Amino acid sequence: MKIHHFLSLFSTYFLVDGVNIEDRAGQFFSSGHTNNWAVLVCTSRFWFNYRHVANTLSVYRSVKRLGIPDSHIVLMLADDMACNHRNPKPATVFSHKNMELNVYGDDVEVDYRGYEVTVENFLRILTGRLPPSTPRSKRLLSDDRSNILIYLTGHGGNGFLKFQDSEEISNVELADAFEQMWQKRRYNELLFIIDTCQGASMYERFYSPNLMALASSQVGEDSLSHQPDLAIGVHLMDRYTFYLLEFLEDIHPASKTNMNDLFKVCPKSQCVSTPGHRTDLFLRDPGSVLITDFFGSVRKVELTMETINLTDPIEQLESAESGELQKEMHTYADQLPVSEIIHQKPKQKDWHPPDGFILGLWTLILLVFFQTYGVKHLKHIF
Amino acid sequence: MAAPLTLLLLVAVTVRAALFRSSLSELISERVEVVSPLTAWKRVIEGLALLDLGVSPYSGDVFHETPLTIYLFHFLVDYAEVTFMLADVITAVALYMAVKDYNKQVFRKQKFALEADRYPLDCLELIRSPKEMYYIPLKVAMFYLLNPFTILSCVAKSTCGLNNAIIALFILSTIKGNVLLSAIFLSLATYQSIYPLTLCAPALLYLMQRQYIPVNFRRASFWWFIVQYAFMYLGSLFVIICLSFFLLGSWDYLPSVYGFILSVPDLTPNIGLFWYFFAEMFEHFRLFFLCVFQINVFFYTIPLSIKLKEHPVFLIFMQLAVISIFKSYPTVGDISLYMAFLPVWSHLHRFLRNIFLVSCVLLACSALFPVLWHLWIYAGSANSNFYYAITLLFNVAQILLVSDYFYAFLRREHHLTYGLYLKRKDGSEATLVLK
Repeated sequence: MKIHHFLSLFSTYFLVDGVNIEDRAGQFFSSGHTNNWAVLVCTSRFWFNYRHVANTLSVYRSVKRLGIPDSHIVLMLADDMACNHRNPKPATVFSHKNMELNVYGDDVEVDYRGYEVTVENFLRILTGRLPPSTPRSKRLLSDDRSNILIYLTGHGGNGFLKFQDSEEISNVELADAFEQMWQKRRYNELLFIIDTCQGASMYERFYSPNLMALASSQVGEDSLSHQPDLAIGVHLMDRYTFYLLEFLEDIHPASKTNMNDLFKVCPKSQCVSTPGHRTDLFLRDPGSVLITDFFGSVRKVELTMETINLTDPIEQLESAESGELQKEMHTYADQLPVSEIIHQKPKQKDWHPPDGFILGLWTLILLVFFQTYGVKHLKHIF
Repeated sequence: MAAPLTLLLLVAVTVRAALFRSSLSELISERVEVVSPLTAWKRVIEGLALLDLGVSPYSGDVFHETPLTIYLFHFLVDYAEVTFMLADVITAVALYMAVKDYNKQVFRKQKFALEADRYPLDCLELIRSPKEMYYIPLKVAMFYLLNPFTILSCVAKSTCGLNNAIIALFILSTIKGNVLLSAIFLSLATYQSIYPLTLCAPALLYLMQRQYIPVNFRRASFWWFIVQYAFMYLGSLFVIICLSFFLLGSWDYLPSVYGFILSVPDLTPNIGLFWYFFAEMFEHFRLFFLCVFQINVFFYTIPLSIKLKEHPVFLIFMQLAVISIFKSYPTVGDISLYMAFLPVWSHLHRFLRNIFLVSCVLLACSALFPVLWHLWIYAGSANSNFYYAITLLFNVAQILLVSDYFYAFLRREHHLTYGLYLKRKDGSEATLVLK
């Protein structure tokens, strides 16, 4: 039934276009993802860390506006700023001074709040190892065709990110969590954005394929906050996320802006720190990756009037130019040949008693035997 | 008597094989009353696995068997069930042959005493006849093989069965009069667990009496025989210990085996007396109480051997009982060995005073052990005091059993010397009391 629908859509388009749709079918499947997820984490509590909550909520707002539903967003806020008793404007979280933009809104769904935001819960969400009683809204139910956006903000340092002022997650742990996600086929491509001091250290240790990472500052630099609001009394946003929000406000679901533009967000003149990014683990060329591949949930629909035969295997369009080093196509089948490695169990060296021992023991036994079972002793025993 | 014995062996082997195949075998092999840290089969497998991985099995507190046991089980680990059944069979057959020979000697001695008119006339009913003694060896084998304690111990694959086999072979070779074999088996038994050392005294007494050496401190032949026996015993012990060194190339096993037995570091509850005491006491008294408890095992040797110097086989029975009650990690396998001897003294039944009480207490305690263990460990409604109370009661019942038999034996001997109906000086009836 569905395939008919699909086919009819394709066929309608073709009557309109007239180009061989079967060649375009490969491009249709080129990005490889079918669903989008977002994990947005604010790790700091206390009123003076208002800006971290505002950071997270502004990315939440953009992501939701671009189409990712709440069921596919895991929002973790370590503290409640909107209803904090120091908030002069209750039930609001502003991202621009003079209260221009309330990112809290009417329809915020916070999945992990307050003390539930811990390193353990974060890693459990990523790896999927949650207790069976966890509700669906608190789970990252991604599959191998999911593009995931992970946004972290808070206080960090060289190689760690602080959670709740009491514990830390290290860059090694994070890299291992992502490797576990790759092993368990929990993502197709993953975009990791971090807005903390020395944020680039957090993506230094990644080693899994199809990861792209952005950070607000390099190792040794601090990420700075943007503007304080004198009425509320705290800094409202961090610079990097502020300019990121401005950039994202211009994106709409059909825009074709790609990642190279995202890398240019917040240059040093605006951010004071140097944002960094890492694309060496990413399969595709960042220029061909749309912003909406990660920030939005754009459904791929093409209308066509022609019938198309989908029985032939669809070939992926190769994006490599001649002369450029052909990047290895990372698929799940091409992973490290773990099966060969596992068979190399340590060789079971069977322990044998030393020959001298066996010789000595049996000599003694034979001696005793002949001593007692010499003919003259035989009648004493039997 | 070969046919009934064979039938008995077949029945015993069938029962054990049936239990090995059932699901009870895992349950039984974890019971603390049946296995101890010294004898558990799980630890044997663990030690062999460590050896296969290239690590000394004595590293860590897992494995406490002797190197000869390693050598034995290295080749027999797949046939473990057959090995333990064979050990039980060997024990039973050895006890059978030993008791048969002993009965012959008892009867012969009795005949000489009768001919020498050494018995008062009214105690003729205490004289034993070959007819009543005919089935005793078979009963001994049956008591050993079909004792539920033995069956449990065999199904749990506790190496106590091997120890029992060696002690039974020692008893056989002693009763047959073979000095060398007796010394060798005793040194093997001592090598495995230190306590059979106390069986030296009855073995010496028996062998000397068999060779008609008078048991007199002033005689040179007495000391010469002791020197010979000690030389054979210590020599074979030395040879076995050195051979064990060559198995693994290290002396690791000495603290692991003997240090473990003597210093009792593992306080897992068992049917013995050590665990509760040592769990409760302060550290600076530990050495003192350790010495007290260990000396308690060896202490009864000299007084008992002085009292029972005419009856070394009864002394062996008493010593085995004392060892299995007071050793540091007793199991029910040790108990079954000395209980196998009870038919040998079935003629004492008319002098036994507490046998009903003792048997009731033993049965009740055996039934209550798993109940209170469950209540303590799983249900949480009891505590270690309950379990230790049953342990204490069990040991008290055993001590009462042994002392009852001791009383009955000595009383019979007294009657055989002084007549059955004792009279005080004024002619009224008197009774004998064990003081």
